[in-house]
Amino acid sequence: MSGTVKEAPGQAETPFLELHKKFLQDTPPPGAVRGLAEAALERFSVLGFPHRKHEMYTFVGTQDLVGQAFELSGEGATPEQEFLRAQVVPGCENSVLVLVDGHYRADLSDTSALAGSIGVVPFAEALSDSGLQNYFKDAIDEENDVFAALNAAFMADGVAITLKEKAAPEAPLQVLCVSTGSTGGPVLNQPRVLIQVQPLAELKLITSFCGERPNYFVNAVMDILVQEGGQVSAAQVQRDPFEAWHFCKTRVTLAGDSRFFTVGASYGSRLVRHHYDARLKAPGAELSLNAVSVLGGQEQVHQFVRIHHEAPHCTSHQLFKNIVDGKSRVSVDGTVIVCTGAQLTYSDQLINNLMLSDDAHADNKPNLMIFADDVKCTHGATVGQVSPDQMFYLKTRGLSEKTAKELLTKSFAASVIDTVRFPAVAAELKKSLLKKLEA
Amino acid sequence: MAENENTVSDVLDDKSYKYGFTTKVEAETFAKGLNEDVIRAISKKKNEPEFMLDFRLKAYKKWLTMKEPAWANVHYNAIDYQNISYFSAPKPKKKLESLDEVDPEVLKTFEKLGIPLDEQKRLANVAVDAVFDSVSVATTHKKKLMEVGVIFCPISEALQEYPELVEQYLGTVVPVGDNYFAALNSAVFTDGSFVYIPPGTVCPMELSTYFRINTEETGQFERTLIICAEDSSVSYLEGCTAPQFDTNQLHAAVVELIALDNADIKYSTVQNWYSGDPETGKGGIFNFVTKRGKCQGKKSKISWTQVETGSAITWKYPSCILQGDDSVGEFYSVALTNGIMQADTGTKMIHLGNNTRSSIISKGISADRSSNSYRGQVKVAKNAKNARNYSQCDSMLVGDKCSAHTFPYIESANSTVQLEHEASTSKISEEQLFYFESRGISRENAITAVINGFCKEVFRQLPMEFAVEAQKLLTLKLENSVG
Repeated sequence: MSGTVKEAPGQAETPFLELHKKFLQDTPPPGAVRGLAEAALERFSVLGFPHRKHEMYTFVGTQDLVGQAFELSGEGATPEQEFLRAQVVPGCENSVLVLVDGHYRADLSDTSALAGSIGVVPFAEALSDSGLQNYFKDAIDEENDVFAALNAAFMADGVAITLKEKAAPEAPLQVLCVSTGSTGGPVLNQPRVLIQVQPLAELKLITSFCGERPNYFVNAVMDILVQEGGQVSAAQVQRDPFEAWHFCKTRVTLAGDSRFFTVGASYGSRLVRHHYDARLKAPGAELSLNAVSVLGGQEQVHQFVRIHHEAPHCTSHQLFKNIVDGKSRVSVDGTVIVCTGAQLTYSDQLINNLMLSDDAHADNKPNLMIFADDVKCTHGATVGQVSPDQMFYLKTRGLSEKTAKELLTKSFAASVIDTVRFPAVAAELKKSLLKKLEA
Repeated sequence: MAENENTVSDVLDDKSYKYGFTTKVEAETFAKGLNEDVIRAISKKKNEPEFMLDFRLKAYKKWLTMKEPAWANVHYNAIDYQNISYFSAPKPKKKLESLDEVDPEVLKTFEKLGIPLDEQKRLANVAVDAVFDSVSVATTHKKKLMEVGVIFCPISEALQEYPELVEQYLGTVVPVGDNYFAALNSAVFTDGSFVYIPPGTVCPMELSTYFRINTEETGQFERTLIICAEDSSVSYLEGCTAPQFDTNQLHAAVVELIALDNADIKYSTVQNWYSGDPETGKGGIFNFVTKRGKCQGKKSKISWTQVETGSAITWKYPSCILQGDDSVGEFYSVALTNGIMQADTGTKMIHLGNNTRSSIISKGISADRSSNSYRGQVKVAKNAKNARNYSQCDSMLVGDKCSAHTFPYIESANSTVQLEHEASTSKISEEQLFYFESRGISRENAITAVINGFCKEVFRQLPMEFAVEAQKLLTLKLENSVG
């Protein structure tokens, strides 16, 4: 047993503690931020990197990642103009915020299409607000994900966005996180995004993660706070090169009658882990989370979801569709927690996996924790393959084996892509993500 | 490791420990505490073959290196393993003269469960007349079983009579170091059941611990080993619906089933241990059981059915290792928690062979302030072609202070599998009860009807008389929880 438990405490964490010292020396964060960063570092040391039997990382092997000697990505690297332009979603040319290696770049951003509706400030500046300070303090104290704690320990830069009360801009806001990567040793960058949606405001949001060069570890944290009656429709696209580690924690807090709707699409990389932590705080809050992953080769995508129904009359929906081929691995570990008193909760969760290869892995853990009796909660999970009957049906109609299989696998993934509320994003996903299914 | 360095002399100093180097062995109970000497003493006391002592010591060494698991969704104060006496010889209970001497509360329970009078006497430990003599019943059964070659005896007896069979199979399904409680059991178990069904035999009756001679307390560390040889089948019943009390708080049993080619084992459990004070939980039993079956042969089948209604804490995952091609694993469970009981129970279906199939039906009912978790794993190995699983776990909540949890683990590593899992939660609503009551059906009967409907699929798997009693038991338990 002892072999599976974490090695001598601190051994794996030491390089990161060293990096942190360097970080404090080179770019000392301002007062309020520094206090939080130190508290987060403390939390990071307490949590420690997960061992193989860690319940939160049952399906995720992090040994390979933790063993790397990372350098911090420097400030000031600018990606090629052409590369950057290609990453901007059509229609977002004048509503894009760019973070390069975790640093907010006002010079590369353009939010003229949203003028009057949103306020954008560097993250550290937003923290002068004592309410937010308390929010982050609590978040750090309660943090159970060591990688999110690691991000918070290095919090200094990033972007804070506020959508003003009742504002409902037509143009979607794209938050583009670019990693420039490295041609030498692996580098670490930790973007931090804070989005506040004021009462009755409606935000259309596209977040995209991409890398110009490989060999990086992007460890992002995104906080989305939606106030009474606010709405967010989002698409979250992960498209890093294979030689990249991508960890992202999205923390969503929903006030009464607010809504959060998101569709995640993952292209996979050597290790991708999405962590959603959503809290439905007051009656009428609604959350919808759909996600699709199409993987091949050695790619991995792991979803870790915790949805807390803290108040009565809230609703949450989840749908995951995964296609795995080659030696790829996918996992969904999702828990819906219905707290005491959260009566009349409605929650559903469905995970569908399509396995195209004998060497691929699909692991699922759809959990329910229910502390109230007048609720309706369901979950389901399936693992299967392309149905021979459906194949036969298509072949009798003259489709070749290859075309028939493509049609069936693509339509499996397309059912999630079709829920993306931005035609330009959906079109790109259908073009490039589904291309992975072509032989 | 200082606490384990108690020497034999320390143990001997305690006056309650009379086991010594003289031939006169009358000891009833060992002194509290656990160390190698205690294990040697247990083994010697039971006059076990050499391999058994090695087995126990190996388990003990492994246990020392292990940590008590903390992943289960249950909370309890730490157990002091040195404050337990690891051997107590079966003590004859004081016989009562008539049913009049039995606690009226207990009698009321029997009556509600519909247990026949003679059986009530036996359960309440009243001396029984010649008509219902459990010993003679057992002897008759034993004779009948021997005729077809079925071995059914206490495992301590099997160690004397059939040591080679025990040595061949013991620990092959649940290895000594499998988990913390299994390791502890392997080191210190004192008795349990042993069943061997020879090839080509259909066991002529349902085997039950009821009929086994020597049914006095088997102690808190029970060990059961059932081997079903080629083309044979057996149905085994464990426990009973009557409330059971025990002074031992910790129960860490191990059950191993082995099914060879075309063999079929059906294992049914009804558990109703004392669950402690409904308000404080004081005195309730901790039921930490490791049950696992191995479908070793082709086309073998193991089916677990359990009705869990007692214990302060239940920690139990009857599992199937589907090793043989075309083997089948089944798990049917009803787990009811009330008061402040906590249950974390479920199953594991490990698919290793081709065309293996498993199905899981789990029904959890939680009432009052209790917590009820289903935790189940379905794992398909890379080479298990065409594996198929269907899981369904439903929870019912009675009252707004209880909780129900579902933790399925579904792991697939090949492309020919078909796995399905679904879960739901519901409640006994006032509307349902009102509907019944408006049609002249009493509240009690209404609850019975709703619960029975909910658990029907599981009860169907139980032997007839058991099913009837189990239904009544559930109603009885929920009596004051609804409405």
